Amino acid sequence: MYIYDQFDHAITKERVAEFSQQVSRRLTGELSEEQFRPLRLMNGLYLQLHAYMLRVAIPYGTLSSKQLHKLADIAKKYDRDYAHFTTRQNIQYNWIKLDQVPDLLAELASVEMHANQTSGNCIRNVTADQFAGVAGDEIEDPRIISEVIRQWSTFHPEFSFLPRKFKIAVTGAPKDRAAIQYHDIGIHIVKNDAGETGYAIYVGGGMGRTPVVAPLIKPFVARADLLSYLEACLRVYNLHGRRDNIYKARIKILVRDLGPAEYARQVEEMWPMTRAAGVDVPAGEVARIAAFFAPPAYDKILEPVAAFTAAKAKYSAFARWVQTNVHPHKVPGYGAVTISLKPIGGIPGDASSAQMHAIADMADTYSLGEVRVTHVQNLVLPNVKQADLFAVWQRLGEIGFAEGNVGLITDIIACPGLDYCSLANARSIPIAQRLSQKFADLDRQHNIGPLQIKISGCINACGHHHAGHIGILGVDKAGVELYQLTLGGAGDETASIGQLLGPGFTSEDIVGAVDKLVNTYLDLREKPSETFLEAYRRVGPAPFKESLYGRR
Amino acid sequence: MAQAKPQNKILTANRLRNGETVYYTAAGEWSPYVSEARIATTAEDADALAKIGAAAYAANTVIDVAVIDVNPGAGAKPSHIREVIRATGPTVRVDLNKSVAPPQR
Repeated sequence: MYIYDQFDHAITKERVAEFSQQVSRRLTGELSEEQFRPLRLMNGLYLQLHAYMLRVAIPYGTLSSKQLHKLADIAKKYDRDYAHFTTRQNIQYNWIKLDQVPDLLAELASVEMHANQTSGNCIRNVTADQFAGVAGDEIEDPRIISEVIRQWSTFHPEFSFLPRKFKIAVTGAPKDRAAIQYHDIGIHIVKNDAGETGYAIYVGGGMGRTPVVAPLIKPFVARADLLSYLEACLRVYNLHGRRDNIYKARIKILVRDLGPAEYARQVEEMWPMTRAAGVDVPAGEVARIAAFFAPPAYDKILEPVAAFTAAKAKYSAFARWVQTNVHPHKVPGYGAVTISLKPIGGIPGDASSAQMHAIADMADTYSLGEVRVTHVQNLVLPNVKQADLFAVWQRLGEIGFAEGNVGLITDIIACPGLDYCSLANARSIPIAQRLSQKFADLDRQHNIGPLQIKISGCINACGHHHAGHIGILGVDKAGVELYQLTLGGAGDETASIGQLLGPGFTSEDIVGAVDKLVNTYLDLREKPSETFLEAYRRVGPAPFKESLYGRR
Repeated sequence: MAQAKPQNKILTANRLRNGETVYYTAAGEWSPYVSEARIATTAEDADALAKIGAAAYAANTVIDVAVIDVNPGAGAKPSHIREVIRATGPTVRVDLNKSVAPPQR
């Protein structure tokens, strides 16, 4: 893991001191709310329905056990003993008191964490594949350039007041596990024909009221040129982005209006200037950063691991959990465990401080002290020996997180929705809970196969509903919560935007409507291995529409 | 045709210091309990509440000030689901919910 150098420590400490002063000046009335609001947002502090909410950055979703222990301590000391992992691989606290924020930030800084740039019109926390460094299909560990980008974008003076927020995601394998085409910039690590590693750059994707799958702007940027190219992309946006209209201010609108080819041309025109400015990182510095992500000392283990094989044979529930929740590791004898934060009937992404402490302890005992956060609101123990998987599964059972449902229909993304969020129009979490209960039967879940349900409580789409195989969008119709269904969205390397099926359903009816969609799929699939998404792409929306609304 | 009865309203905000959801009471204080809210039954009353809210905002006591609808009849019961949730807490964590009225002393 990356370890702060003196500069990181200094700027984090300085920022805590600066924001502490700003909080004091706000509390004495020296700063008005209008003056303070943009300052607090740049420090990740929102006002929600019941209290302030603090969003803490987890750069590219990587945490040490020490950091997770601290996050748990903060949940107990400053919040109501729990916190929420988000689709941006961050963590949010729901019940924060303004006058306690300076102390909280100082505690975060003590474990090299902060809430900087988790809001505001700046470059946000960079996200990445949760299996970085351990996935067998990886070309290059995406954490290396994610860390380079983090350092470059932190307090970047030119990009601190962009037309709108800006999100960058990196994936290092052909399989996109970071939804890069739904980001302002998506970086896909690739190899060119000469066998050199570089970066395919997608620009102008996003969710929200105008969902866009990012077009490929440049198929290959060489390693040494990455930052100057990104800086050119940002500079064109900063110059021409629509600051006059918040609904048109994201880069996706600029790229759409200019056309990807013209946008790419303008970036090429800008690039020599950013190159000449010397922003690119010397190879030696990249190597210094890469060293922090060097593979740990793995044991040499011969497969098959007898104890693991025996446990799977003896306990079918364990074998099933392994099937869904353990990802192949590049090193023989190891696995990457996804801890589902989606117990049946639970709140997606929520964890109590006790659960966080337990997972941090498990990371120390079984996973070389490391934890990852996924954009699907789950956690990962990336380095577990196969021989330890049974013990991990048992321990997870003790803390209520042994659900073997990763990638299945109850592994639902849900934003906080109207239960917490001041922007929401409808509740998301109760719908997720009831769907999870409806489809609780694990035999049925396995029969249904891979199916991603994603729920947002408003058009801002924090719940990624556009990318859901089944997307659910909560709306407010004359004071009543209604839920619209979209089908066929995907956030992987085959990214697509879900299409609206028809009129919305009430809270009472939405679960039954989803059940009908699932039954329709089960009836029309050509074989059990044809997934929901594949079947939808083959037949289109018509049979699904008919199942919900009848023949029209 | 009979004139429609004006919509009953109350004044709500969040406390600056801790973000807590609060309601302006008949006693001229900010209470966490919606049942204690002063109810405006006329347009003039509602305007007066709005002015009180603006003054409290200017005095840095509260933020996110709003005059909201409550149901007709006795008591201050917010009309909209959003305000019902603000008054009592997340519907998915009833263990953390607060009462609409202060505990009996």
